[in-house]
Amino acid sequence: MLVFAASDKGGTGRSVTSINLAYRRALDGDDVCYLDFDFGSPTAPAVFDIPDVAKEAKGRGLHSYLNGMTGEALRVDVWARTEHQVLRSRPSGAGRLVLLPGDRTGGEFVTDGASLHRCVDLVNALRREFNLIVVDLSAGRSYAMELALSATAQTELRSLKTRWLVYHRWTRQHVMAAADLVTGERGIVSAGVSLGHDKDQLLGAIRFVRAAVPDLGSPQWSQVPPAQFAWMRQCNRELEGIAAGLGIGRSRVLGSVPLEPVLQLQEQLITDEDVLDSRIANIQTWQAIGELAERLADDKHWGLL
Amino acid sequence: MATPEETTRPVLACGEVRTCLLPSSRALSNKEAELLLRLRDDDHVRVSTRPGRHVLSPEILTGVDCRFPLANRAKVRGVGTVASRAALTEGRLLQASSYFRAPVEGPDRRQPWGYYLARPGTLLPVGRIPESACLQGFLTVREEGCLDIGSIAEALLARISRHTGLLDYDVPLRSAATKLWWTARPAAPGEGASLERFTLAEDGVRTVLLRVPRGTEITAVVGLCEDLALHDWLLTTMVEKLDDNGFGSADGTATLRVLGPLVDHLLHLWMPGARVDRTLGAVWEVIEEDPGFSRQWHTLVQRVRDQLALQAVMSQRQALATG
Repeated sequence: MLVFAASDKGGTGRSVTSINLAYRRALDGDDVCYLDFDFGSPTAPAVFDIPDVAKEAKGRGLHSYLNGMTGEALRVDVWARTEHQVLRSRPSGAGRLVLLPGDRTGGEFVTDGASLHRCVDLVNALRREFNLIVVDLSAGRSYAMELALSATAQTELRSLKTRWLVYHRWTRQHVMAAADLVTGERGIVSAGVSLGHDKDQLLGAIRFVRAAVPDLGSPQWSQVPPAQFAWMRQCNRELEGIAAGLGIGRSRVLGSVPLEPVLQLQEQLITDEDVLDSRIANIQTWQAIGELAERLADDKHWGLL
Repeated sequence: MATPEETTRPVLACGEVRTCLLPSSRALSNKEAELLLRLRDDDHVRVSTRPGRHVLSPEILTGVDCRFPLANRAKVRGVGTVASRAALTEGRLLQASSYFRAPVEGPDRRQPWGYYLARPGTLLPVGRIPESACLQGFLTVREEGCLDIGSIAEALLARISRHTGLLDYDVPLRSAATKLWWTARPAAPGEGASLERFTLAEDGVRTVLLRVPRGTEITAVVGLCEDLALHDWLLTTMVEKLDDNGFGSADGTATLRVLGPLVDHLLHLWMPGARVDRTLGAVWEVIEEDPGFSRQWHTLVQRVRDQLALQAVMSQRQALATG
């Protein structure tokens, strides 16, 4: 399965949440690789805690590969290379977890047929080895997104199950921007259709992930004054209304990730140790990501509504 | 065939073999394999059916002009062509090999392309290369600006993998590709082939250092290395599948999900040395002695069969208990 992580704006926690998803799927036994197509700001090495990767990827990362400057994209085995205390030992039953880092050294992107072929070849080689390929795209309508849409429209990749996660924060602006990214004039669907995708099939493969959503039922909010709480509930309802009106109501949402200090402040992997032992992360976040990881692979949550 | 200038000076040979499962749900027939590996219209695909099915593509050439990967970091330019070929064993295991011969001394200046094209599959140094630095360097140095033979082999795998008419990409088991880097130097006069080193490195890399009798055709060495790579891949994949799935758990269906594809697609592929040139057969004897590839393989196969037998007994007992 191929999963693209997209967002219209930055600050949605797209990368860090996707990395957590990849990690959780690997813990469940999937062989997972994570491709950092966010060429503007590659964050994956930091989140996986592999400090040397940025240097190593110079001239050998995905950017250089797609531009034809290196014949092969660098692969980094996360279990073997991470300096993260918990990740260092691959748990028994866990699948492979491999990072293909991006690099900034590949020069300007050339949007030609050659890079499209290289992208298809890469995915074709990866699908022999991995059952989950997660591709993190940069925010907004990017070259990487166009490449993703063109590549998946090619005959070679037609048979590969492809899914899109569109991340947005739970605010009016973000909800509108996310809807526009998908169904807007130059959005994923219209761009995809012009590249040869079937509209309904593509729409059925797109789900939204709400990020940094305050969970009003949690103890965190039990201390706020009643008037403020009522106001927050009102805002929440209004947002639901807006989202539904834009066609991204609950049925199109794969899951929500709560407002989580560890994701916001530290941008790190959340392990069971963070939740159970040191308690720096909330159990709700751990559960939310687990639920997302499960639904990601569950056909029941996908397809046209 | 050796050119006159090579009869006195040693000629090294280097190459890389990539081995992976064919991206298809079933094994291809010989006819399909022939179509898949028809890399050139002016040359035949070789098909053999005894012992075991093996289909070999014609050779293709890739022009290169870059630095030799030398262990002493000296900057010597190499110009010429790298030869590549693909092989499909039992319609199941796909291999791409890229390789070249390298005389330790070449012309002092870069020659026009015609000169190099007259020596297909040969990478000529501009000047001299130290023999051991070249052999060591090829097995260790992977640097920007140096010869990247893996990319050539990978490009061939990718080219074959694009054959959407024959491939459905629905592999019965996920497995990693392996890369075998090999170098061969001529043995002392009168001496036979020998294996100087075989190591397993990280990320699926294996390195092999060989000595081969003078005058051995490079394709014979390539054939040996493909055979080594194929059997090493089988061992690697079996170990990975058996070790990573905690058997002993009561979940019988999970066990069968792992073992089923191994039985269906891999167990019958073991046939070490079957297609290896007779002059190089001694290398397999060494490997069978230590570390003993076949010994390990038979233990793994036995493990698969024991697990299956155990599952059969357990399910029978369960049926009796519930019935």
